[in-house]
This record gives sequence, C-alpha cells and structure tokens, in this order.
Amino acid sequence: MAAATMPGRIHLAIFVLACLAGLAFAGVSTFDFAQHLDRQVHDLHCSFIPGQRTAAVDGEAVGCQVTLMSPYSSVLRTSIWGGLPISLPAMGVFAFLVFRGIDLFGRGGLSRRRGAGWLFVFSFVPLGASIVMGTIALLELGTACKVCIGIYGASLVAVLAAGLIFASCRRTADDGATPSPAPGNGTWALVGLAQLTGFVGVPALGYVMMMPDYSRYVGTCGKLADTDDAGGVMLALDDNVAATPAIEVFDPLCPACRAFDRRLVASGLDAELHRRAVLFPLDDSCNWMVEGAVHPGACTVSEAILCAETVASGPGAQAVIDWAFESQEALRAAAKDDPEAPARMVRERFGALAACVGSAEVTQRLNKSLRWAVAHSIPVLTPQLYVDGVKLCPEDTDLGLEYSLTGLLRKRGTQ
Amino acid sequence: MNSVALRVVLGVACAAVPTFMAGGWVSGAGTRLAKIEAGDVVEDEADGGEVAIASAADEGYCSGDLRKILRRVLQSCGLLGSGEVRGCQPVQAKNVATMTGQDFNALFLPLSQRAGIIQFERDSAELDASDSALLDKLFADQRGASYFFVVARSSPEGSVEHNRALSQRRADSVMTHLRSTFRDPDLDREVGMLWLGEEYAQLEQDFCGWSRSGAADKCKPKDINRSAFVAWIDCRL
Repeated sequence: MAAATMPGRIHLAIFVLACLAGLAFAGVSTFDFAQHLDRQVHDLHCSFIPGQRTAAVDGEAVGCQVTLMSPYSSVLRTSIWGGLPISLPAMGVFAFLVFRGIDLFGRGGLSRRRGAGWLFVFSFVPLGASIVMGTIALLELGTACKVCIGIYGASLVAVLAAGLIFASCRRTADDGATPSPAPGNGTWALVGLAQLTGFVGVPALGYVMMMPDYSRYVGTCGKLADTDDAGGVMLALDDNVAATPAIEVFDPLCPACRAFDRRLVASGLDAELHRRAVLFPLDDSCNWMVEGAVHPGACTVSEAILCAETVASGPGAQAVIDWAFESQEALRAAAKDDPEAPARMVRERFGALAACVGSAEVTQRLNKSLRWAVAHSIPVLTPQLYVDGVKLCPEDTDLGLEYSLTGLLRKRGTQ
Repeated sequence: MNSVALRVVLGVACAAVPTFMAGGWVSGAGTRLAKIEAGDVVEDEADGGEVAIASAADEGYCSGDLRKILRRVLQSCGLLGSGEVRGCQPVQAKNVATMTGQDFNALFLPLSQRAGIIQFERDSAELDASDSALLDKLFADQRGASYFFVVARSSPEGSVEHNRALSQRRADSVMTHLRSTFRDPDLDREVGMLWLGEEYAQLEQDFCGWSRSGAADKCKPKDINRSAFVAWIDCRL
C-alpha cells in the first residue's frame, strides 16, 4: 500500500473523526429509542456532548422528546412496535464511512483516487438524510434536538472533508503520480453499495430479531363495561360515523394529550376511527379526583369546548380544542397567576361563548363528563383511547401507537 | 495477512459496532420488560406510581357514624336498594336516624360550604326567583358528591298533619324544579328527600349564617323552618 500525502491524511483523519462523531450521536439516539422498548418512560440524552443525559423540564417536551416521539423518528411503525429508528441506519452509514475512510489510508494511486471519489459520493448519504430530517424537524415539528444537530453537523463536516480528500487526490494525480492497477468505477460503486446495504441491513435485521413479541399486549389493558352515552357527555371529534367507534378521554390543557392527538393524526389511523371525546380536566377547580391543579385552567377551557358544541353561533368544539392545544402554555401560565384569566382569554377569543362558560348548565355537563369516568372506573389519567370499548394500553400511546392501534383494529376486524 | 483479508476484518469489525450495540440495547429492553411483567421493580422507570381509579368524592367528614346514618336514610328513601320507595316519612326518618333532632342536624354541620336553605313563604310550597337561583347554584356545583339531600320542614304553626303534608309539598317542589331545570337522568339516584314537618330536627338560628334564599332579617326559628335544607353529600357508600 502506498502512503497518502500529508494534507490528504489530515483531511482523512478529520473525515474519520467526523464519521465517528456521527456514529456516536446516532448511537446515543438509537440507545434512547431502544430504551423505550420496555414500554416505560425514560429520560433522554439531549446534549451536544454525546452521552450526557437530560431530564424533561417541568413535564414539557423538550426538542429531543418531541423529535423522538414524532412519527418521523422511525419507519415501519405499523408492523414493528415503535418502528425501526432512523438513527439505526444512520449508525450503519457512519460505520460504513469510517470503514471506507480507514481503508483509504492504506490505498495509493488510482485506487486511492477512485476510493476518494466514491467516499465523497457516499458521504452525501448522511448529509442528504440530514437535510431531509432537519427540514422536517423545523417545518413539521417546529423544534430540533441537540443529538440530531450533532448528526447533521457530523454529516456536513464529513462531506467537506471527503471533498477535500478527493480534491487532494486529484491534484496528486495531476502532478503525474504513477497510475496503479485499480478496480473500475462500476466495481467501486457496486462493492460500495453492497457494503453500505450490509452495514445498514445487518444491524436493522438484528434489531428486529432481538425485539420482544409485543402482539401479546394488544387489547390486554381492560375494556369499558359499555360505550353508551346516556348522559350526553361525549363530543364527536369527526364525521366518520361508519368507522370503528373510539372514545378519547382527554384534558385540553394536557401536553401529552396534544402530543397524542398529533401523533394519531400524523399516523393517519384517525381516519379509521369515529372518535368521540370525554373531557377529563386534571384541574381541582372542577375535578375532585386530583390533588391541586395539574393543568390550571383546564376546567374553564373544557367548559368552553362543551359550550362551543351547543351555542348556535359558536365556533364549534373542534375550533376551541385546536385553540386550546395551540395556547396550552399561555393558558396554564395565566391560570397559575389568576384563576379567572382562562375565562377572560376564552371570552376574548370566542365572544359567542361568554355567557355559557361558567353557567350552571355547562358546569353540570362537565361534571357529568367526570362522573362518566367514575361510572366506568377508568384511571385518573390522560390521554386514554378506547377502541370499540377496548383500551389502548397507556404504554402504547407514544412510540407503540401505530403498532398497537393497528393491532386493536385488526383484532376487531377478525371478531 | 494480506491487504484484502485486512480489509475484510476491518469491514466486519466496523459493521459489528452498530449491530452489537443495537442488539444489546434491544435485548436489554426486552429483559427489563420481562422483569416488569414478572413484577420486579425496574430502577430506571421514570414514573412508576400507581394510577388512581376515578371515583366519587369521599371527604374527611364522612365518619363511620355519618355513613351508617346516610345508608339507613338512603335505604328508607329508596335511593339504595330496589328504588320502589321514593321519599321518607318523618317517623321513618326518626327511626332510621335513631338520634335526637339536634344530633341529626349536627350531622350536616360540616356541609356549610355545600348546603343551602331554601326559605318558603308561610304555608307555601312555591319557589320564588331567589329560591330557584340558590337551588340551581347549589345543585350545579355537584363536584364529586354522590347524593343530594332535600330535608323539608315547616314552622310549628298549624296542625301536625298539615305541616307534614306542607313539608312534603316543599320537598316535591324542589324535586320538580330540579327535574325540569337540569334534565339529569341520574336525578332519581342522586336526590334523597325527607319531609320532617314540625316534628323532628327543627333548625336552630345557628343556621342563619348559611346560604339562604330568605331575606337577611327573616331568620327567626319560624322563618328558617319554613324551608328545604339542600346539600350535596360528598360521601361514598
């Protein structure tokens, strides 16, 4: 093997280090994802220093949590519990690039030049993926995680370093270096693609094969004694009356409920359900089952949602739910300082509901909603989803949503 | 070792890194899941607290004695059991309570924030606007309470029989108003009525400070007993 020139070696070293960093960041992300395969809640690593653990702040989803729990963090979610994390193929790609980078250290002449050219080409794989994922994070999720930014940065540095390696190899060749026997470009490409496939495919296969059998949990978390709405407490969330009936128990100011709603809509599985909502505000101003206001202002906002359904010139319940989800942080913060603030905010936003919110009728209807929970002995917890009366396990409302919900729908279809 | 073999070894080593790391993590999660299923505590679990089950309110004042009385009264009034009986006679109320009128009233003392006194005109069972307003306000504020008590009385003027019938009409008047205003399908399972006439557990003036529909200066014993005492009871049976 012929030795590389000094500038080429430095660029190559930078390339390998960048890919190792990418591998470390992708590894941390995959680790965080795989931790959740025990169906429990875990803190995440969310730092530019790979491996540094960060707890969620005040129950709020930080960027890393939003990204991890989003439907974009993995693929094949309906057939694998949680799906295959996209950071796992990223690990494979970076490991492949590390291999090709180290391999290039020992090559010389034409072999080195072709190797450098293809290294440059392959280095665009993580960069391309980073651009796609970064765009999704910014435009769809409105946030970004530090670990992901680490991957994006490593990908960019790797491409730049690979470009410099290739350029320096070309200069060396132009300076009249002796050509040495080397495989053709087609062979380089085919071998490289085969290697890349192996680097990505083998870990993915191992991941899937090592997974526990989650199908045994589907539909095992209890069911409602009945799904009737004798008290008229339920709100229709869609018009899919022909679809599978589902009851969603939620609190309009609960971040987990908002996240669940968004995941459900993003999964597309909401189209297979006829969703009706039972409001269950975790706020002790109306809910005697909680100690203190977990989500201050949730009672008032729940009343506004019920009012919106009944007031003729009102905005409609869904519009108030959407507004409540969008304004959760502001509503909770305002209610902490002044319990009357949410009612003012509702009046300012939806004037037509002013007379209804706080009235005896709506107070009683909201109370009936809470009493529906008592009558059905459901957990004091939001969100909850009952598909045709069968409960979606709470452990399956985030990463396992698509898999478990699809399983519930399939089970119902075969009954 | 030639360069091709070296490259193969290097490639396998590099590919093994993500494979074994990911495999190990998944395997670890599977082990934890099995432990959780087996009931073992998993230290890394972030929030493993028991989740409460939704239930009706059960306040601290719901002592054993109160529950016992409550159960007896509710059974006599038809709220528990077959539901064929509706409302209680004064004698029955005395029998089930097996206590003095003063002790009976004392049971309700912790309910000052949950109760109100709907005051009627002399020899009348009609609810006026202020009566209805107070009744609506109190009934709408059910929260986690399971039972709404209507304890109607009359002042001692007139015969015992007349006053017994009058207090029954007052209790019925409250029930009719609730039925027409709230259209609550659970009403018959929630509202317990007693009519005591003038015979038992007359209200003392201590109750004048409670929420009342009568004027501030109308709180002599005869005024406050021309009434229906209404209260949500936050006790589970």
